[in-house]
Amino acid sequence: MSRQARWYTLLGLVFFIVLEALLAAAIVWWPSFAENVKTLKTMAAPLPWLREQIELMESTGVSGYVVGQHYFKACNTLGAAAAVLFAINAVAGEAHRGTLEIWMGRPVSRTRITTERYVGGLLAIVVPVFLSSATIPALLATVDATMTYGELALCSIHSSLFLACIYTTTFLWSAMDSQPLKIAVGMLFFSVFQFSIYVVKTITHYSLFRIVDLEQFIRITIDDELKVWIELGMVGYCAAVYAGALWVVHRRVP
Amino acid sequence: MGRTSTETASPDPTHAPVPGDRRIVARGVTRRFGPKTALHPLTLEIGPGVVTGLLGPNGSGKSTFMRILTGLVRPDAGSAAVDGVPLRGDGTAIRRRITYSPGELHLYGEMRGAEHLTWFLRGRGAAARARALGMAGEMGLPLERRVRGYSHGMKRQLVFAAAMAPDVGVRILDEPTDGLDPSARSIVLEQLRADAARGTTILLSSHHLDEVDLVCNRLVFLNEGRLVADETMADVRERSSRIVIFTWGPDADISGIENRLEVHGVDSVRREGARVTVSLTSADPRAFLARFAALEGLPAPASIEHGLLSLKELYRELYGVEAC
Repeated sequence: MSRQARWYTLLGLVFFIVLEALLAAAIVWWPSFAENVKTLKTMAAPLPWLREQIELMESTGVSGYVVGQHYFKACNTLGAAAAVLFAINAVAGEAHRGTLEIWMGRPVSRTRITTERYVGGLLAIVVPVFLSSATIPALLATVDATMTYGELALCSIHSSLFLACIYTTTFLWSAMDSQPLKIAVGMLFFSVFQFSIYVVKTITHYSLFRIVDLEQFIRITIDDELKVWIELGMVGYCAAVYAGALWVVHRRVP
Repeated sequence: MGRTSTETASPDPTHAPVPGDRRIVARGVTRRFGPKTALHPLTLEIGPGVVTGLLGPNGSGKSTFMRILTGLVRPDAGSAAVDGVPLRGDGTAIRRRITYSPGELHLYGEMRGAEHLTWFLRGRGAAARARALGMAGEMGLPLERRVRGYSHGMKRQLVFAAAMAPDVGVRILDEPTDGLDPSARSIVLEQLRADAARGTTILLSSHHLDEVDLVCNRLVFLNEGRLVADETMADVRERSSRIVIFTWGPDADISGIENRLEVHGVDSVRREGARVTVSLTSADPRAFLARFAALEGLPAPASIEHGLLSLKELYRELYGVEAC
């Protein structure tokens, strides 16, 4: 296994372990949540946004609770952070430590080395999302609840595509810049800003997190299907931004 | 003086690239970085099996030219072909047929020496990797140690081993001996000589003129992105035989010496402080020295040197600065 493959495997493994730990804790806590949901609603009364989320989970039962905990909370927050962290060093990291010339100087095309790096990081984000989702039915069995693999797979696709958009955007920035820290701060600020406008009811529709909020995941589990135009839109966005990153890398001076 | 860029601007048009021709051909290659022109239109043709030293002060365009030839930097204008492969796109096709050793050394500190060689030689085959490991082992590199523990010289040797191992027709080496101690440098120079003897075309840049003198049979001088001289070592040696250098003590009164030395058989006289360089029209200095001895009222020089025009002298002549 190459050095890069080992690195992405390690990152993916760490991401998976953290996701799985949060998921297991959340499912173990499900009976308590169901029992105390009224109290939780009372506590969340001063925060209309939070109260609505709890009501949504209450009305949809265990599936709403699980997608809320896993996709909306864990994947969106940790996943966004992982997407940024896994992409910032792709090209900017090489420039920052001065290895860009030897990285590009081997007899391998820039398209190939860039694509290898892009795919490696993307898999390190997407695979843990799918793998952890695949353990949900088994974990739910411990609390006498069920969800199908089909609905979870659809939620995983939706969540992964959103994370891919964040990852690809960061990757493009990395292809253009030489300061990984600047990219990290910029992207994390952007993510926090997007989430902050998401929780403000009057402007929530301007937030990108609307694409991956609890409502969306619950809709997917109920309809048992994805809205193709949203998914294709995200795929198209990733493809276009990645093409831009390739263009930049090809013109970059080491 | 050697050919100028204008004189070399019209290479033989019959020299069309043929894959594996071991030539390096650049035609009007130009590169700007923002407002600064790093390389003015440069035309240069290096024949097969020639070891060419690319010389010039820092910022003269040496590394930019090498990076253009390897496809790492896109030229703004002009064309190039290396080993018969035209420069296109990101230059991968060229890099498959040559090896390149960068001037600036930044390696992956967390990788071990042997891993680094494998990484460098991706796509070169197992034989090249085995040769590189053998070469690095002979140089005494601790290949099981992480590169972060290597000295600058050890890193340079590691990169050199990776550049020398593949069986290619052209090698482009940017300062391959930079940071090496004298014994490591002599090993590197010996390997370059042996490689050149096998017919490999080598383009190397260096600030160490003594080593260029040892391995190169052609010298290309760049300054501020322009070709200022292009000479064979035979030209330089012939020129050196026509040079006499006088050095006087610091208190000697040698005012007007330039005019007094302008005698028959003298091509030019150049004075720098107490040092006067006389270029003769013939390689035999005896007649000139006899006339010099006959000049009255001149203080006796502290030293007279003949035939010692080294590359340093040539460098000084071209750039007015001392080389290493």
